[in-house]
Amino acid sequence: MSVYQLNRCVYDWVRAGEVNSTAVDGRIDFDDAAYELSDDERKAFTARDIGGLYQLGLHEVLLNRFARAAGFARDDYRKLLEPFAAQEERKGRWQR
Amino acid sequence: MAEVVLAYCASHAPMMSSARMAASQSQRDNFFGALTHVKEEAVAKGVEACVVLSNEHFTNFFLENFPQICIGLGEKNWGPTEEWLPIDKVWIPGHEGLGAHIAEHTLRSGFDPAFSHQLELDHGIMTVYYELDHDMRLPLVPIVQNCAVAPLVPLRRSYEFGVALGAAIRSYTGLQRVAVVGAGGLSHFIGNPRVGDIEEGFDRWFLDRLSRGELEEIFEMPDSELELAGNGSHEIRSWLTVAGVMAPANAVPLAYEAVQPWITGMAVAQWPTSTPTLEEAPV
Repeated sequence: MSVYQLNRCVYDWVRAGEVNSTAVDGRIDFDDAAYELSDDERKAFTARDIGGLYQLGLHEVLLNRFARAAGFARDDYRKLLEPFAAQEERKGRWQR
Repeated sequence: MAEVVLAYCASHAPMMSSARMAASQSQRDNFFGALTHVKEEAVAKGVEACVVLSNEHFTNFFLENFPQICIGLGEKNWGPTEEWLPIDKVWIPGHEGLGAHIAEHTLRSGFDPAFSHQLELDHGIMTVYYELDHDMRLPLVPIVQNCAVAPLVPLRRSYEFGVALGAAIRSYTGLQRVAVVGAGGLSHFIGNPRVGDIEEGFDRWFLDRLSRGELEEIFEMPDSELELAGNGSHEIRSWLTVAGVMAPANAVPLAYEAVQPWITGMAVAQWPTSTPTLEEAPV
């Protein structure tokens, strides 16, 4: 499955609940059946599984918006993502 | 012809509005003090309209069609989008004449900006615009850039767009006093395991280069290196665009605070102009 479908599903869910959306209360009745998601993607989306969505490649800007809209404070979702942190060996020019 | 009578950039973390008091008193005083300074200057100089540059956060555009630059031409725009941002949701007046002129002029200058006759403005523009005008009545031409989805506009190109944008504003005859504002950055991480980290070293390095006019070192940075300061650091494109508008003047940093509760290196910098205030101007 293309990660595009996952991104699209999450985007539509986030937008369905925003102020100027055409469907203000759209999150309540949001149906993910129309999206071609893998079983893992559908499960992670339905369960609001922040770590799972990160691992599945959800765009980070969307993940941030999704977590916020789903009621996760940043400190909380950082804890959920910390297990996936990778050691960074590279240095930026401001660090040299 | 219009003049750019005020030019500045500021970080736009949504928590500066939604969790304002989470920052320390001294951090708030420093950051908001700088924004109050530019706001008072806008009033003193009789700013008639503002152009505010920010970046797209999947508010107006999605992966089917994601413009690198989009200019808001409409008579009004709506904001803020986020239901949880504690700023009144209102229609904000645009400036159709200035927006159309910017679009036409930059098209003739070798750029291909998209345009929109109605944008939704999220925290990216609204937090900074609100600090400029709490009444949200100052006509606003929004410009959003892609700072989120690769491939991104090269940093040098964002600066060059600013040069064209400055020429566009200064050749517009429908206004006399325009403010140019960049919103975004500096270092921050969102939606990944480093959310909450701030690369203060990058932020101070960037502000130092801006204030000395040493932009080549910034332009040379590939996005993969810039991202070491956070995926949100791509938003420095707004700052580089304003630097292009004001070239060859250099920025003067007014405030910098690494505000952990707002997960962002929060800065304000201004570019000097020689425009007198309304009181100082000859009658």
